[in-house]
Amino acid sequence: MLMTFSAVSASAQNKDRRKSFKSWDNYEITTEKVGVDGTKFVKVWGFGKNVDAATMNAKENAVHACIFRGLPGSATAMSTPPICPNPDTLVSHEDYFQNFFAPGGPYLAYVSMTTDGVPSGTDRRKVKGGYKVGIYVQVMYDNLKRKLEADGIARKLSSGF
Amino acid sequence: MLKKLSLSAFVCFVGVALFAQAKIKEVVTSDYNRNSVTMIVIQRGDSYDSATASAVRKFTPSSKFDLNNIKTRSVKVNKLRSEPVTQTEADAAVGKVGFAREILAAIFNRDSKGMMDDKTVRYRGNYDAKDQDVINARAARVGEDALGDLGQKLVAGSYIVATDFYKVDRQTDKKGNVYWSVNARAFAYQIGLGEDGLSEFYEKCWIYEDDNQATRDAKIKAFQALDIPMVPVASASTASTSSSVEAAAGDCLSGLITGLENRIANWEVAVAISARKPLRAKIGTKEGLSNGARYRAYSYSEDSHGNLKSVARGYLRATEIANNSGMSAGDTEPSEFYQISGIANIDEGWTIKQSNDLGLGVMLGVGGGIFNSLRLNADYLVRTKTNGQMSYILADLTMDLGKGSSASSIYMALGYAYGLHLTRFFEIAPYLMLGDDYMSASSYSSGSDLEDTARFLRRSGFVLEPGMRATVNLAYPLQAYARMYYDILMYNSLSVSYDSYSYYNDRAPSPMNHHSGFGVQFGLKWTF
Repeated sequence: MLMTFSAVSASAQNKDRRKSFKSWDNYEITTEKVGVDGTKFVKVWGFGKNVDAATMNAKENAVHACIFRGLPGSATAMSTPPICPNPDTLVSHEDYFQNFFAPGGPYLAYVSMTTDGVPSGTDRRKVKGGYKVGIYVQVMYDNLKRKLEADGIARKLSSGF
Repeated sequence: MLKKLSLSAFVCFVGVALFAQAKIKEVVTSDYNRNSVTMIVIQRGDSYDSATASAVRKFTPSSKFDLNNIKTRSVKVNKLRSEPVTQTEADAAVGKVGFAREILAAIFNRDSKGMMDDKTVRYRGNYDAKDQDVINARAARVGEDALGDLGQKLVAGSYIVATDFYKVDRQTDKKGNVYWSVNARAFAYQIGLGEDGLSEFYEKCWIYEDDNQATRDAKIKAFQALDIPMVPVASASTASTSSSVEAAAGDCLSGLITGLENRIANWEVAVAISARKPLRAKIGTKEGLSNGARYRAYSYSEDSHGNLKSVARGYLRATEIANNSGMSAGDTEPSEFYQISGIANIDEGWTIKQSNDLGLGVMLGVGGGIFNSLRLNADYLVRTKTNGQMSYILADLTMDLGKGSSASSIYMALGYAYGLHLTRFFEIAPYLMLGDDYMSASSYSSGSDLEDTARFLRRSGFVLEPGMRATVNLAYPLQAYARMYYDILMYNSLSVSYDSYSYYNDRAPSPMNHHSGFGVQFGLKWTF
């Protein structure tokens, strides 16, 4: 009975994850400054049941933005187009991205937090159901792009010629 | 009827809206940047001008401030020194001088030819940079050169503090010692220059090497014509007494700055807690932090409409102070703190904000022992340790009017206590006090007798009081306390010297009956 309950619970979680995966667009991101070569330096917000979960969510959001949304411009930096501008890419390669963004998944190799310590001050907010945090992250944009091109997810610039 | 209801509803709506706005405005900021000040003296054209000007010139504010070395250090108000200068009079006097122009000239090192540079601004930007700024700069292509640019924002944090000294009184005691009492008031003004104003200043007044003479002349003229206001932001008052006018005026100045700190939010240091066990935060000597300095912790939350709220979470005191007076390299040494109130444990990431207090606890209680009367005690916090141990200087003032007795007594004592916090809510403090129980016939006489040492001694019984005090937080800074002690009245062994005391205490028709013994006292304590 316990095993049945666990299986049902895991299945429900997967369903929830797939559902939220498809509607994954509700987050804030701003470009802080022009990053060092091959990187993007952004401030991104995440939500989670606790601060650690919200921080992980913010990292996922940063990589998600680079791939699907693009990065907005700011007073000190130009905007950046998404690596995969086709809005159908996420759906058509859902299994790939489910694996890519899985907890502890490959996406973590392309993002590093540059917040000093833990999210603090007004960047750490208690909200209904958990925490909302804002963190500074550096996304290894060029490396990420090369990885998605190599995996056949993003089109190479040269592929049109 | 319907109209009345609509009107009531409208009034309620407006009230709620205003209240909501007020609540939103109350959000405590977690940002803090260094400010710069210049101390100015208000002169009255009398003989005290030079002494007060000298006191202000010699005064150096806390190391948390940068100093703007401007030319004008005084303004004049033609008014007798027996009356204080009003805010309006101070505003008028300050308005006559182009302080904003002088501040800009000082910050940008303007020379006689109108040439300026940004060395000071860049230095201040680097000096004010926090670890997050350094990390951000390293993550950006522009690199650590960006830190100097942070100094541009600090220009708006330039203040002058105009100090007025009034009601200067010369007093002489019976031994012929002269001392001076001085009242002081400070008016703080902030430069009225935002980012747009600064850009305009650069555009119109900044002379470049390749500018021709006509352009230079035009920019010099534009600088002279700058009309940037100094905006009054706060005022504070204090008073002091010392052996000279200059010393008394000098003693007032730090009190004035503390008073202004409590009124100018931008002057209150704010920083995030960087670690727990022990509580740590990346501030120190650079922010003028000292042992025992009180801070208040805040966390942030969002309501269902996304409005940000700051939630007060308790107080803490600085314990170990880090020397962070150098430039930040991204790994600033933090200072340590001890939480003294609040239901929740202060957590990493919460903001703490300067909340000055005097460290002075005043206790009023009743109890038994040698004195069966109201007892007024005070303690002054001397030192705080990270493990919650605190040192206090104690003072006691007890008047025993001796109901039905032929005498009354006044007891004054000083002592030392060492507080141990079992939790942040509960402190026990063993202590030792030594005091003097002074007897006087019938009602208490105010003390002219004290000058007659022999008479004083004859009427005094010295009391040694070892004891234990327990304090519990009710709603900080309100605490309840209990003291248990043993009073040792020491006149018996020296009764030859204490003949009058022993007469009033033991042999008079209605003696006071102060005797050695155990006592317990209960009361309330408020920390200021």
